[in-house]
Amino acid sequence: MTVASQVNKVLATLKGSQGTIRLYSAQAQKEEIRAVYDKAVETTSEIIYDLEKRLSEIEYREPQYKGN
Amino acid sequence: MSIWLQILIRSILIFVLLFVAIRLTGKKNITRITPFHMVGYIVMAVLAAIISTNAIANPVLGLIPLGVWVVGIIALEYLSLKSKWVHDFIYGKETVLIKHGRVMEENLLKARLTGEELLRELRSKNAFSLSDVEFAVLEASGDINVFLKSDKKPITARDMGIKTAPLAEPQTVILDGNILNEPLASIGYNRNWLETELKKAGLSPDNVFIAQVDSSGELYIDLFDDSIQNPQPKVKEMLYAGLGKSQADLMTFALETQNEDAKAMYNKNAEKLEKLLKALKPYLLK
Repeated sequence: MTVASQVNKVLATLKGSQGTIRLYSAQAQKEEIRAVYDKAVETTSEIIYDLEKRLSEIEYREPQYKGN
Repeated sequence: MSIWLQILIRSILIFVLLFVAIRLTGKKNITRITPFHMVGYIVMAVLAAIISTNAIANPVLGLIPLGVWVVGIIALEYLSLKSKWVHDFIYGKETVLIKHGRVMEENLLKARLTGEELLRELRSKNAFSLSDVEFAVLEASGDINVFLKSDKKPITARDMGIKTAPLAEPQTVILDGNILNEPLASIGYNRNWLETELKKAGLSPDNVFIAQVDSSGELYIDLFDDSIQNPQPKVKEMLYAGLGKSQADLMTFALETQNEDAKAMYNKNAEKLEKLLKALKPYLLK
């Protein structure tokens, strides 16, 4: 597996997790629980943003190893 | 009017009357009532029996004392709600039996309790040794409540420094195969949601004896047929595991990459994820 595809895999896991957390945030009955999940969505968004940036760098430098 | 008809009519009337009267006197556990209330109920019961069996020729003469007792008890209840003084007068006040770990002998005497009885009551509260007890109080209802010394108290999550997710009470949404609309609505779901969840588990409402939704929106199902293994939801554990794996992967990337900027970025995000995992743990793992 190339680096790009490994990063891609982590990205996919994170995005999936974020979706689930979003769902929990919407389902939460209490404000404090919702706040925790919302914070989690925010954090994962930051990580996903960084990873996507890194992924495009990798793909730009080594287009032959484009991860898919 | 023949006598049996008279008794029948009286009985039915008194039955309804007494039922309403007792409902009006409040919702109290029969073992928690004061001696006075006990007497009140007995008087009401005896009067009701006398009137309905025609032991008093003129039913009005029976209804007067019944009314006085019912109204009297309701009035006292009302007054005791309004005034602390009346409340203490009717229900009595609590008596401190043990203070700072020492038995208050005068109070024990006042409450007509022997040491033997005190010890028995303490044992029933799981305080077998007097040295475990910091404070004990005899409630007006006759119960003895015990406050244990701080090092003898059951340990809580807070004592251990464990953070727990706040939980609201679960709602029962299916009982005996019937979907209950009101609890479903009270937690913001509808029948469609429930039916989808059941379909996901491969079930129909008819198979389900009890289904409860907890405050995080997870459905717990108990089936009529106990031989069927129905998988309980594991989404949260999966989510936690997925995030944990991502965190481990990021750390691997940080080790593998030659690019210093990328290394720093991976490390920073791995740390962020670790913090997130710590914060989510009480919510995702139970």
